Amino acid sequence: MTDRHDLDELLRAQEGDAGCDAGVPIMDEYVELELRGEDPAKRFPGTAIHLRVCPGCRADHDGVLEAARRFGDLDP
Amino acid sequence: MDSASRRWVDQLRPAHPRHEETVAKLHDVLQRAALHELHRRRGQLSGPEFDDVAQQCADDAIMNILAKIDDFRGLSRFTTWAYKFAIFEVSSKVARHAWQHHPPSDLEWDKLPDTLVPKPEMEVERREQLATLTQAIATELTPRQREVFVAIALNDVSLDVLALQLGSNRNALYKNLFDARRKLRACLAAAGHPLSEEDA
Repeated sequence: MTDRHDLDELLRAQEGDAGCDAGVPIMDEYVELELRGEDPAKRFPGTAIHLRVCPGCRADHDGVLEAARRFGDLDP
Repeated sequence: MDSASRRWVDQLRPAHPRHEETVAKLHDVLQRAALHELHRRRGQLSGPEFDDVAQQCADDAIMNILAKIDDFRGLSRFTTWAYKFAIFEVSSKVARHAWQHHPPSDLEWDKLPDTLVPKPEMEVERREQLATLTQAIATELTPRQREVFVAIALNDVSLDVLALQLGSNRNALYKNLFDARRKLRACLAAAGHPLSEEDA
């Protein structure tokens, strides 16, 4: 906690961070880009920054990605 | 929109003859996804509660999906869009459970962790840096910024749990945290202790 790197992490606030709400409507799209092997940061740079910093949003993202991978696409 | 997604949307319409069957199939997969997610976030709920909570998540996700079905524009597969609702429900219910069972308390700003208290054995520069940071937390942040920074950054309270405690929401508190961090970085830089080249 007390070295410069850890303080840098503790106070991380990166320019361009889109915040939590911006990721909600596009989370499915973001995840599908990843599943296709594309870089979602190109299309959603602010959310890509945010997901590196916000544990809550990162957990939600990881959950959607995991569900899409594990349960996949289904026909009704 | 891909053909499978189109079929989901069409068959979830109340007038469709396969409506109930389709709702049941979607509920089943959402419940399995919610259960898997609860296990993935293990440690925050106990085993016997998983099945009940997973069912509640699927119930609530289905209600939201049916209410917002016209918002689905086919930018992802329908199922990925639907999983999102189930995962958000899990997130919400896990946070509420944590808040009800372990509400954050004793979040006074002067309860800083020992690691942020300058100690004699530290280098002079480090001690000055931490002293500047502690002073800035005390004097430069607004009361709300201080409350959020101390809880989340210093005491590992989750954003969602703190939002429930304060009657706020994740995004608003994240903005408070972001602003607090920027202000503290600026204070360190102004005192001659920049954390990065950008701050200098």
